[in-house]
Amino acid sequence: MSGLIEAREIALSFGETPALRGASARIEAGEIVAVTGPSGSGKSTLLHCLAGILAPDSGEVWFGDTRVDTLREAARSALRRDRFGFVFQFGQLVPELTAEENVALPLLLGGTRREAALRHARVLFDRLDLGGLERRRSGELSGGQAQRVALARGLVGEPAVIFADEPTGALDSLAGEQVMDLLVEAARERGTTVVLVTHEPRVAAFAGREIILRDGKVTSPVPDRVPS
Amino acid sequence: MIRLALRLTLAGGREAIGRLAIITVAVALGVGMLLAALAGINGVNAKNSRYAWLNSSLVTTSATGTADPTLWRISADYFDGRLIGRVDVAGTGPTSPVPPGMTRLPGPGEYYASPALAELLRTRPANQLADRYPGHLSGTVPAESLPAPNSLIIVVGYPADQLRDQPDVQPVRQLETVSPSNCNQCVVGLRSDAIDLTLGVVALAVLFPVLIFIGTASRLAAARREQRFAAMRLVGAVPRQVSTIATVDAMLSAVAGVALGFALFAVFRPLLARIPFTGEPFFPADLSLNVVGIVLVALGIPLGAAVAARLALRRVQITPLGVSRRVTPRPPRAYRLIPLLAGLAELANVRMTGPPPGSTRQLIVYLLGMTLVMVGLVVAGPWLTMVGARLLARRTRRPATLIAGRRLADNPKAGFRAVSGLVVALFVTSVAVGIITSIVDHRGNHGDEVSHPNAISTVFLQGNEAPDAAPKAGTDPVPPGLSDVPGVTAVVVVRQNPAWTPPGPVPQPEPAQVPHPEPVGLVSCAALAAHPEFGRCEPGAQVAGVDSVDLTYFTDRVAFTERALPSGTWPASSVPLAQLEQLPTVSIVVDTDGSTGAIEAARTKLELAYPGQRRNLPMGDVDKAADITSALVGWRQLANVAILTSLPIAGCGLAVSIVGGLSERRRPFSLLRLTGVPLATLRRVVLLESLVPLLTVAVLASVAGFVAAHLFLEAQMRYAVRPPGVGYYVLVLGGLVASVGIIWSTLPLLDRVSGPEVARNG
Repeated sequence: MSGLIEAREIALSFGETPALRGASARIEAGEIVAVTGPSGSGKSTLLHCLAGILAPDSGEVWFGDTRVDTLREAARSALRRDRFGFVFQFGQLVPELTAEENVALPLLLGGTRREAALRHARVLFDRLDLGGLERRRSGELSGGQAQRVALARGLVGEPAVIFADEPTGALDSLAGEQVMDLLVEAARERGTTVVLVTHEPRVAAFAGREIILRDGKVTSPVPDRVPS
Repeated sequence: MIRLALRLTLAGGREAIGRLAIITVAVALGVGMLLAALAGINGVNAKNSRYAWLNSSLVTTSATGTADPTLWRISADYFDGRLIGRVDVAGTGPTSPVPPGMTRLPGPGEYYASPALAELLRTRPANQLADRYPGHLSGTVPAESLPAPNSLIIVVGYPADQLRDQPDVQPVRQLETVSPSNCNQCVVGLRSDAIDLTLGVVALAVLFPVLIFIGTASRLAAARREQRFAAMRLVGAVPRQVSTIATVDAMLSAVAGVALGFALFAVFRPLLARIPFTGEPFFPADLSLNVVGIVLVALGIPLGAAVAARLALRRVQITPLGVSRRVTPRPPRAYRLIPLLAGLAELANVRMTGPPPGSTRQLIVYLLGMTLVMVGLVVAGPWLTMVGARLLARRTRRPATLIAGRRLADNPKAGFRAVSGLVVALFVTSVAVGIITSIVDHRGNHGDEVSHPNAISTVFLQGNEAPDAAPKAGTDPVPPGLSDVPGVTAVVVVRQNPAWTPPGPVPQPEPAQVPHPEPVGLVSCAALAAHPEFGRCEPGAQVAGVDSVDLTYFTDRVAFTERALPSGTWPASSVPLAQLEQLPTVSIVVDTDGSTGAIEAARTKLELAYPGQRRNLPMGDVDKAADITSALVGWRQLANVAILTSLPIAGCGLAVSIVGGLSERRRPFSLLRLTGVPLATLRRVVLLESLVPLLTVAVLASVAGFVAAHLFLEAQMRYAVRPPGVGYYVLVLGGLVASVGIIWSTLPLLDRVSGPEVARNG
């Protein structure tokens, strides 16, 4: 029986440098999983493969009954748009758009009418304590605010999975904690699966389970635990 | 999606609006110039069509047309170095053809003048101009009959009986309407094909830097846009959607640029009309655009921009994680010199085999050659930059030079891109200066011919024709009062040599092959002694033989003698002096003090004494020089337009490129400053990054320009290129100094964009 997302013996090299060497992982629906490991261990690469951003050189990636790694580019884009949400460390907001337009962007790209998409986005502004920032551009937001806007954008399409790559990496501890609280709370509320890449134990502690990578391989999954 | 794309393009803040504005201006300049070139070609053709009616009596008239022909004679005249077109007419009935725009022919004793000529008639003394025309000014030659707003044209009315029996008068039953371009027998008009060719080359030369400017401006903030595209890909935008956004972005500025370009053309059209690149200005309305041209530009430029944007996106792969180049750029290779060499080889081939027949084919071969050379310079530039940069990095001990050298060697394409517009502009300048300087030099100086700039002569013999309508033998041919005209310094009569044989219709051997051909004219040695400016006789001679009827002589050859004579000496003739005055007159040569009043009063006397003789037009070097000068003025102005347009545009391209480069590299520069690299060193890096490719390729561009000019001149005119004057070096040096100034003016930005906060915030 497959999990919601599964990587089977995936390997990926960048030129001569191997990033993943036969990594396998299975994530069930509704799980909050932290992918941890030292720098260069392949954490982000694993997340990118699971999210269909990168296609592995070998191995398989599954999302439910869909094999992701063999999908065409347009289908993978549609999958990201319709079923996944993303919160990255930085750089994921479009600077030309206002905060509410950034949040509505996945819906706009999916063909939702502008008014409906913005209305949908504004609901999340209240939910994530972003009220009053709707019309601001990304350059006018603090790091924590920008990250919450990114989180809102990740949630707006009601995705099945949120992929978060070092979501608090550019934030101070207080703002980081606030973002993680909101992420976990929203995920639990909606039953959303969260795959979280981090090297910070404090952030990893928000997850129910850890997947530890070393030299491109999953070493040992940590037993389930209750988040603090 | 289009709405979102518009939002993204327009809502990017000052930087995005600035970029949009720069691209719009660059496209507008390109469109404006393209429209000017198209309108120029249309204008030349329209002007040539305006000349058509003046050829009415010169083409073989058909029997068709009105039953009441207009008796018609066209002749040329001069005033103060300007050509006057004179049409003598006499109607023979109510349906006699009249020139375009006129309601009737001037009657006997009347004449119509063009506005410019009417002004001269009004302001100049009658004995210098108005006395040449019988009757009085009673109307205006309308604009429809004028090739140019300042044309000097006069239509003189005569009684039919008086005009009918005069030489060169033809009955015209219908006006010629075919443009001289398409009319073999037409004499009056432009060589429009040659002008179209020149315009084509100039348009290309000016458009090229504009295209480079557009390309440079389009790359502004490329990294930021690519970052935006990556962010959109992350949240699910498919490549097609990204492509649509990029296309809308490109088309928006292109559409705005096209609109502004049309506006620029409309605003500058009256100024453009004043450039006399055909020797005369244009009627602004003649610089028109046809529907095909308008549609091609209005739709073609935005579509071209859309295609270019899509092609640019195909070169990179925009992934959700950022932008990766599809192909890792390899260092440029020496084969990049091939297009440049191919272009020069193509021009050399035209030089060796001669230009092909027909202006269209000539246009193609020259445009192909010049385009190849320009493209070749742009293609070869990165390789030359890399070679220069590697050499620099290897030899230097200064950190700034080392950093600049290594950066250029790593990415010579980016380094050269900033100066590519200037390099092309330098090539354009060199070609233009090379061609114009050489033409001016060759045509301005009549080789080894000694000219009499202040003399005019009425010649009663021309070409292969026997003396025609000459003064009767045995009479004094000098018009009464001619010698007394104030400013006239000499009047010399050249008589016909009885031993001279007119050349027949059968081709004659070249003079060099005939050892002792008899000279056409004879002149009294006493007259020459009084006016040594016309040459001198051999000692003891009474009559001299002259082989040029206007007493222009050649210092390096005496065609009819093998005896070596001192320079300016005519050989003695065996014809006795007593017989001289009984011989027919070949020419009357009048020298003056050079004042317009003296020349024109003498010309008026001669014309009145020998009226209606088209072949007897009194003219001199001043008039020939004026014809050439007006053409040269036009070409020179055209070259100036090319130079003055391409250099500033290239300068704008340089400035935009450097500012864009600084903006994109703010983080590395900031990190360098954080590690202790002084700002002055970074400034030197930026300066060197532009100067190294500029200086490396500038020499090649300049040499290629003069080689191309030489090959063009040799092929088309059999001229060798002449070295440029001081002005060229001043221009080039000034251009380089201006380039340094442009780079220097952008350096304060370096201080702003490389502050420590940039390293922290990215």
